[in-house]
Amino acid sequence: MGCIRVDKITEYLCDPLQRCLKDDDPYVRKTAAICVAKLYDINAELVEDRGFLDSLKDLISDNNPMVVANAVAALAEIQENSSGPIFEITTPTLTKLLTALNECTEWGQVFILDALSRYKASDAREAENIVERVTPRLQHANCAVVLSAVKMILQQMELITSTDVVRNLCKKMAPPLVTLLSAEPEIQYVALRNINLIVQRRPTILAHEIKVFFCKYNDPIYVKMEKLEIMIKLASDRNIDQVLLEFKEYATEVDVDFVRKAVRAIGRCAIKLERAAERCISVLLELIKIKVNYVVQEAIIVIKDIFRRYPNTYESIIATLCESLDTLDEPEAKASMIWIIGEYAERIDNADELLESFLESFPEEPPQVQLQLLTATVKLFLKKPTEGPQQMIQVVLNNATVETDNPDLRDRAYIYWRLLSTDPEAAKDVVLAEKPVISDDSNQLDSTLLDELLANIATLSSVYHKPPDAFVTRAKTATQKTEDDDYPDGNETRYSETLSNAANGGASPPSSSSVPHAAARQSAPAPAAPAPAAVPDLLSDLIGLDNNQIVPADQPATSSGPPLPILLPAGSGQGLQISAQLVRQDGQIFYSLLFENNTQITLDGFMIQFNKNSFGLAAAGPLQVPPLAPGASARTLLPMVLFQNTSTGPPNTLLQVAVKNSQQPVWYFNDKILLHVFFTEDGRMERTSFLETWRSLPDSNEVLKEFPGIMVTSAEATLDRLAASNMFFIAKRKHANQDVFYFSAKIPRGIPFLIELTTIIGNPGVKCAIKTPNPEMAPLFFEAVETLLKA
Amino acid sequence: MISQFFVLSQRGDNIVFRDYRGEVAKGSAEIFFRKVKFWKEDGQEEAPPNVGGVNYFHVKVVGLLFVATTRVNVSPSLVLELLQRIARVIKDYLGVLSEDSLRKNFVLVYELLDEVIDFGYMQTTSTEVLKSYIFNEPIVVDAARLQPLGPAAIFMQGTKRMPGTAITKSVVANEPGGRKREEIFVDIIEKISVTFSSSGYILTSEIDGTIQMKSYLTGNPEIRLALNEDLSIGRGGESANDYRSSYGSGAVILDDCNFHESVRLDSFDMDRTLALVPPDGEFPVMNYRMTQEFKPPFHINCLIEEAGHLKAEVILKVRAEFPSNITANTVVLEMPLPKYTTRASFELEPGATGQRTDFKGANKKLEWDLEKFVGGVEHTLRAKLTFSQELHANIIKEAGPVSMTFTIPMYNVSRLQVKYLQIAKKSSSYNPYRWVRYVTQANSYVARI
Repeated sequence: MGCIRVDKITEYLCDPLQRCLKDDDPYVRKTAAICVAKLYDINAELVEDRGFLDSLKDLISDNNPMVVANAVAALAEIQENSSGPIFEITTPTLTKLLTALNECTEWGQVFILDALSRYKASDAREAENIVERVTPRLQHANCAVVLSAVKMILQQMELITSTDVVRNLCKKMAPPLVTLLSAEPEIQYVALRNINLIVQRRPTILAHEIKVFFCKYNDPIYVKMEKLEIMIKLASDRNIDQVLLEFKEYATEVDVDFVRKAVRAIGRCAIKLERAAERCISVLLELIKIKVNYVVQEAIIVIKDIFRRYPNTYESIIATLCESLDTLDEPEAKASMIWIIGEYAERIDNADELLESFLESFPEEPPQVQLQLLTATVKLFLKKPTEGPQQMIQVVLNNATVETDNPDLRDRAYIYWRLLSTDPEAAKDVVLAEKPVISDDSNQLDSTLLDELLANIATLSSVYHKPPDAFVTRAKTATQKTEDDDYPDGNETRYSETLSNAANGGASPPSSSSVPHAAARQSAPAPAAPAPAAVPDLLSDLIGLDNNQIVPADQPATSSGPPLPILLPAGSGQGLQISAQLVRQDGQIFYSLLFENNTQITLDGFMIQFNKNSFGLAAAGPLQVPPLAPGASARTLLPMVLFQNTSTGPPNTLLQVAVKNSQQPVWYFNDKILLHVFFTEDGRMERTSFLETWRSLPDSNEVLKEFPGIMVTSAEATLDRLAASNMFFIAKRKHANQDVFYFSAKIPRGIPFLIELTTIIGNPGVKCAIKTPNPEMAPLFFEAVETLLKA
Repeated sequence: MISQFFVLSQRGDNIVFRDYRGEVAKGSAEIFFRKVKFWKEDGQEEAPPNVGGVNYFHVKVVGLLFVATTRVNVSPSLVLELLQRIARVIKDYLGVLSEDSLRKNFVLVYELLDEVIDFGYMQTTSTEVLKSYIFNEPIVVDAARLQPLGPAAIFMQGTKRMPGTAITKSVVANEPGGRKREEIFVDIIEKISVTFSSSGYILTSEIDGTIQMKSYLTGNPEIRLALNEDLSIGRGGESANDYRSSYGSGAVILDDCNFHESVRLDSFDMDRTLALVPPDGEFPVMNYRMTQEFKPPFHINCLIEEAGHLKAEVILKVRAEFPSNITANTVVLEMPLPKYTTRASFELEPGATGQRTDFKGANKKLEWDLEKFVGGVEHTLRAKLTFSQELHANIIKEAGPVSMTFTIPMYNVSRLQVKYLQIAKKSSSYNPYRWVRYVTQANSYVARI
């Protein structure tokens, strides 16, 4: 019913629909219920006008569960697309729905459970009641029903205070959740992603079930990865031996990504469980001994993190690590190894030799490694200020400052250099400072996001681990968001990692160079820079400071403001388009210009020149426009000065401008000077001085003009607008049915304007009378006033 | 809710395409297919992709891709479950699910789809309920050369002791003979996962079982299904680690189970009987899961020894621990070998028949196929390996684990049994065929070395 989705059909649809909603046959009623949702999709108003929503709400009390389910589904959809409260679940509705729940088809159960999950129970008693009614759904064979029931229960559990009840519920939820893992791999994946969220909130539910998350050899890789993640979350002192045994086994499997993740998992367990750290390390050492290249590299990366977590505890293993030095070829592993050498330089006898071997290839290394090499060498030098390291540091600093294009590297090197040359002791304090201890990050989602995701258990958003509005776009809202909008960094890396199985993503504690954004470095300096903890802070602070000073000053100049009138269209400028206008900002006059390069070549060397004009306007400085690539545009504010080369004759508004660049001929165009740009901030007059000036000026200086087309609708808004342009309000009086306003304004060289505006608010027609010592300015003034009033 | 539903062939052709809400552009099928092909190369799949605000879900059934698209934040399990269910309903109606049968019956298929989903909302997927709304007759496709679908399909392989026609019979079409054969199938299918440690202990063991039913009884009479009386559910407060205590007592203890919605459990607590009115078509009566210790059907013993420079010997022994009147078929053992292995020569026990050995050079894997494996027997394989390079570490670290797949008909490890199957029908002459079948399959059966 209602499948012809055309607006025209709707009026013919209404009457039959009305009948069908009350039909005797439940099949007809259930189809009609969905039809209301269809109709709402085509014409929402019609549905509301014809009262279909009420009929739909009546159907909730229908005696056929299928009809109830469809009515709920339809209402839920309508609610989602509408702003007002249409479908609110009250206590009576709740009871009805819970009754219908037992008899529905499995799909209906999902609709009802999802709708009910929005219901907020009023107290713990009610919550317990609801949970009791929903719990049998956990036994259902349909995974969707089980997950929706889990969502519902988790939500109500927040309200339940009795620990006994909560413990009991946890016990009841565990087996069904585990059973989900016997389903098809796709469903397993969905279940695992959901479990991942659930254990973050309530780890007790599955604390005893870690065995079921052990990977089976025929699990698809995406299931294995998820299982690993959950195993890390569930690992505890009690089960760590078992878990480690599994991880060790996984680390010898074939799939490289999986192996890497398994190795990282061992490291994360070591960081998470202090008492197990030693066992974890011994497992890692065993793995290193197998000498499979990628295992070794991964192990070194995690050992670096372990060192950061437990400083000065496990250096005894460094010797073993050094054995595999030459096999390292991945930047991250190399950087980690170099960091370890630098950090423990005083305990490694041949630290200088080891570092030297890396130095030979310094220019070819990726930036990540270069940065670590630089820091490690400085550390080595500070710890062992002997001849060898001294030479090394010369080489490194030279390499890092002179021979590189990488600003990060160069800046860091300069800071070290300066530190070392001014005060080596201070350098020691900075470079060898105590580093903050990192912590386990296996519960990475922040709690507000987690709350939102938990409320969305069993939906797509719980699989993506993103809030729904991040990826849901209804067909009607045309703007399609890109996927990665506004994401907390860690979360985004996590997400892309799990989906793309890129094992070197951010699942492990972030190490310095895997965090590409400067922003991330600023917000989280400690984990972001493992090696020279203090220095990059300083560095980023400096950068941050600079930015803060420069950017805001630039910002209004470059971006804001209304669109400028086009003075040189692209057609007559051979592709160069110039828009410009005189503006007043902070008491100064600027010429605001927008250049748009629609040519095929880069344009540069822009210059500007103004012809003589009535006010002697001229540029106060050179035009600052960067070279414009094809398709690029630039906005600039050119400061202006007055009375430079004033033209003679009666004042007019003509401003002739010439612009040239290195590639094109000189372009001439005309602009119009609007007098209100010149209104100065000191134009306000006292009432008394206004009256005096008014009287002192001869009547011949009074000029009058009418603007029949202009209407003042709100006195206040108009006053505000005029005041913003430095036309100051002085007084107001009523004359018959007219309002009379008095204003003052002043232009440079102290020329005052006394203004009287007469109008009937809300009616067209404004009369403007002015008195000024320079009546020849009057036409210009009226033009300005007209613009201001019209705006 | 779901916006579109479509079925793609392996080549990416649109066999069935139904748009329910008109919110997703028509090209979605093509976008999806490209995405899937791209995955295949990458070796990763299934995380529901989101392309331009459209979420795609799919399941693969007998080589066909069943896909649903949506724009809203739906429950993925719901959609995936639905896709499976649609495949099953179509199969119930067409008898055979294949590209060919879908094309020939497209009118029926669209009719079904319109009843199953309305405006993206699932209405019903019960074959039984749908019967009253569906009027098209299926065109039966010759099924002989087609691969059957569903868990019961395993009864088709190997021994021909089951009537094959039942598997490919449509629920609505009548038998060619005109008279419908009264029969009911109850299959107890258990998939077992076992991991042995290197010293032969069981590290983890799990049974995923399902009781599958397919009924061809006229008039849908009520059926009572009795299970073991000593069956109990839930391990109480025990943790997974101390389940050994329950072993040997003879009781069957399920960790968890769930039932089909048609099952009534009125007397389940008392005498472990399930009462149900079986809907037409194939459906799982009960799914269960247990981690109670059981006797693994096969015991694997693997020995690797270095035999001189650049040489090693692998001895693989497998013993069947089930009674000798039962035979396992399609037994395959696989074992990854060290990556510098260049050659492997095999030596089977004398007089061995129906066994095949292979060394896959590309992924360095040893394969050993046994067509039949009689209970109580032990088979041995010796393999001599030659390496191209000195091994870094212990050879054991680089080889293994041994994984095994098998199917054992008429045997179930959990000892869960259907004690009787009662069909409530007045007439005493009524005696339909009842088939109760058991099968055990390996899911993940791994021995570490």
